[in-house]
Amino acid sequence: MLKTIKRYWGVYTRFLSTCFAAASTYRLHFLLLIIMDQLFYFSMLGSVDFLYNHVSKIGPWNRNEFMFFIAFILAVDHLHMSFVSESFWEFAFDIRTGRLDFVLLRPLNTIFSVFARQIRPATLINFVTPWGFLIYYGRQMQLDLVSWVSLFPMVLFSLVLLTSIEILVSMLMFWTVEAMGINFLRIQVQSLSRWPEFIYRGFANKLFTVGFPILLVGSAPVYFLLDHGRWLWVLAAVGALVVTWGLIGVFWQKGLKAYESASS
Amino acid sequence: MSVAEIGKWAATIKISWNKLLSYKLNLLLLVIGPSVVFFFVKYSLWTAIFQLEGIEQLQGYNLPDMLKYQGWTLIVALLGQGYNSMNLAEDIRLGRISAFLVYPFGFWSFQTASFIAFECLQLFTAGITLGALFTLQIVTDLSLVALVAGLLFSILVSFFWYQTSYLIGLMAFWLEETWVLRVMFLTISQFFSGAVMPLEVYPEYLQKLLMWTPFPYLTYAPVKIFMGEYRGDIWQGAGILSFWLGVAVLLSLAVWRRGLRLYTAAGM
Repeated sequence: MLKTIKRYWGVYTRFLSTCFAAASTYRLHFLLLIIMDQLFYFSMLGSVDFLYNHVSKIGPWNRNEFMFFIAFILAVDHLHMSFVSESFWEFAFDIRTGRLDFVLLRPLNTIFSVFARQIRPATLINFVTPWGFLIYYGRQMQLDLVSWVSLFPMVLFSLVLLTSIEILVSMLMFWTVEAMGINFLRIQVQSLSRWPEFIYRGFANKLFTVGFPILLVGSAPVYFLLDHGRWLWVLAAVGALVVTWGLIGVFWQKGLKAYESASS
Repeated sequence: MSVAEIGKWAATIKISWNKLLSYKLNLLLLVIGPSVVFFFVKYSLWTAIFQLEGIEQLQGYNLPDMLKYQGWTLIVALLGQGYNSMNLAEDIRLGRISAFLVYPFGFWSFQTASFIAFECLQLFTAGITLGALFTLQIVTDLSLVALVAGLLFSILVSFFWYQTSYLIGLMAFWLEETWVLRVMFLTISQFFSGAVMPLEVYPEYLQKLLMWTPFPYLTYAPVKIFMGEYRGDIWQGAGILSFWLGVAVLLSLAVWRRGLRLYTAAGM
């Protein structure tokens, strides 16, 4: 087990170094990525801030609680954009061009090879804004020790859940001719998760928390961080993660059967 | 424009139309999906703000007004925000534009004809969406004058959006990737155009500042025209947007000429 982890870590560090080498070649692109991320962070925070100039509460949350949620989501987004996001676009390209053949031949787990391959260093070094705001609003909320200790693990857990749901969605690429649309669908799934579950009412709420649990990505950990009595939400999110990986296992196998190399 | 030239435009529009309809699911997910999901999020958010807090009015909007605003935002997004020129950077980088340099139909003409085909398709999509919003009573009190004025303004928006996307795509003569610029433009315009919330919700200093930019004319102005509530001069708004469209056209011409000097048949 330890040997396997060591081996995969070795491979991952190689992935990292090649991505850093590639990123340093295109410096203007590198700089633009940083600006793009900053614009996104400030537009998300700004939107909620402007809203709270006119209302004192949205649902059960005041300004600090809502801003803490948004900062949490931005921290998840920061890790997602740094370590995962780019790989989904490459996956679409791999399937369309048949380049997936070479990935399948590698003596590595293919899902690891596909979804951990691309890292975006520009976003990685852009950590100050999302994490700074998360810590700032955590202090405003006067989080207790348990919340501070579990903050980073919770962000990681959200990242894993979000990525898993996205991997499941991206399995659809095996059955479509043009995969760009599936990537856009994935982005829409992400944008749904960027708001707390209580803003969605009725059927939509049930659908996106139980049927397709994208709302658990942000809401479950934040509910727990703000009120430890709501640990059932985290348990539900863990259950959702297990089910998602079960489905990924099934659809990955079916997808590979449907994959026809370059002609697919 | 000669008859032969018109024929080329018509043939390109027809081919692009067929190409768009070849991948219907992709079109649905790429163009219609994002706008619909964005609307759904805003619909949910504003309903929660008004209903959970029992708010009657927010900056002059009650809940039906706000949902109506968001409904029209969806229509304007469908009409105005295309994804044309998305692959333009790849075409330049991989040398695919070489073919257009020898064709008797220019690169800009080809792209624009494709955009017109796309826009025709979006007119149908927006029409169907409007029908659905009207049935659901999100959009009410339709007026023919406002509808025509809003439609014409939205078409102007779509040309500005297309020309800006084209300009961004041309930056591939110098940049490895141009999607970053596209996302930046989308993020800025969504935030500052009133696509997320009406400009009345923004701080006053920002509202004044924005009037010097093209952004309010990309969403807020056409939505208010459709709603029959635009307080400014429509001709002035169209004039300002046309000015920015002209700037985008001139910049595109300059960038194309300079970029072509760097271009080799093998790409960039």
